[in-house]
Amino acid sequence: MQLHAMALQFARIVEAAADADELGRALHAMTEELGFQYFALTHHVDLLEMGEGAIRLHNYPSSWADYYDAQALGLSDPVHRASHVTGAGFCWSQMPRMIPLTASDRQILALGREQGIGDGFTVPTNVPGEARGSCSFASEAGRPIDTPKLPLAQLAGVYAFEAARRLWSGRGYRDEAAPQLTDRQRDCVLWVARGKGDWEIGRILGVSEETVARHIKQACARYGVSKRTLLTIRALFDGTLSFTDIFRR
Amino acid sequence: MLHILQAGDASASERVLQAMFAARKSVFVDLLKWNVPVVAGTYEIDRFDDSDAMYLVLTDAEGNHLGSARLLRTDRPHILGGFYPELCAGSVPSGPNVREVTRFCLDRRLKATDRRAVRDTLVCALADHALEHDIDTYSAIAQMGWFQQILAFGWRCRPLGLPQHRDGALLAALRIDIDEQTPALLRAAGLVPKAGLPAGDLRAAA
Repeated sequence: MQLHAMALQFARIVEAAADADELGRALHAMTEELGFQYFALTHHVDLLEMGEGAIRLHNYPSSWADYYDAQALGLSDPVHRASHVTGAGFCWSQMPRMIPLTASDRQILALGREQGIGDGFTVPTNVPGEARGSCSFASEAGRPIDTPKLPLAQLAGVYAFEAARRLWSGRGYRDEAAPQLTDRQRDCVLWVARGKGDWEIGRILGVSEETVARHIKQACARYGVSKRTLLTIRALFDGTLSFTDIFRR
Repeated sequence: MLHILQAGDASASERVLQAMFAARKSVFVDLLKWNVPVVAGTYEIDRFDDSDAMYLVLTDAEGNHLGSARLLRTDRPHILGGFYPELCAGSVPSGPNVREVTRFCLDRRLKATDRRAVRDTLVCALADHALEHDIDTYSAIAQMGWFQQILAFGWRCRPLGLPQHRDGALLAALRIDIDEQTPALLRAAGLVPKAGLPAGDLRAAA
């Protein structure tokens, strides 16, 4: 079958999927079609902490999955970081050209290879206002990537993630995942992200320093964090703030 | 406030169109670095901005631009058919009931939450416009990140071909089928027109 026709068929199947198991079976079949062995569809959050709320569907061998969980790679995985700098799918072998890799990243990748994780292809998925995610296809070390099929992998990743969003939202993911800030709290967090202190923020917004401190404290409480650095990062991460908000002139 | 306009409409809408062309310059030229013509250093206007183009423009109460989209007829020259036909595996969708959505533009001055409100309102307006004007298909070209968002709106959206690297980006052509179920599909995905669009604070924010 032509690749485009296969993409259309896959879109139909995953849109009709009634539960995660059906979606998983469709992804499994597509993974083989693409010449890969494994898939992982996931939100980029600490999966052990987020539990049921976050999208997570994979057929990685249990040794790979344990390894990812133990490393808490949901957040620090270089593959996930690379997928935050592009909207297009990429092969893992391209990563050193996409993001700066630290010594620890290189160690993580080397450890992965020791677990038998070979090259893979990751489709980044970003829906504004929600945690970022991705759909990855991977094989054991030593198995080459079937490059001509990657455009199909790209479309499959996009449609699979959307199907997962639909299925997981029934579990109330969006409600649980993003704490809601008030407009005033968000304004304060925005100015914190721009490097301003409480007194300055108070002058900018026309309120007292104490009021600013209270807004920020309450915003911290909503995210369950105690430091304002973490607060700005969480707000950026879930789309309450965007980088454009912060750097806008 | 939603304005549905054609180029050369009465002078009252001239200001709305001008603000839209300026906002398009800010987004597509300054931010996204598209290589498209700029008129008088201020307005992004190309050859398709002629009297056959239709615009959906959202403004605040004072007429400041919030978001906009351009609809091109497909029974005459348009972008997908003229420049990117190879993005379609089959024939390029065209005909009196098909419009190409181009220059979907959210004002850069909007904060993240307002952007989503404006985006949702504009998408719902596109669906309503199609239903009111016998349009059953929208075609569009999108980078993959934007493709994911368009799909997340919940309406029926299909790739017209495989994504391809063009002009330094991974582009895909897509079709959106509009029928009487579309508004319900959008609602189910959480897209509803937002009454409380930001009003009057754009200048202060800019």
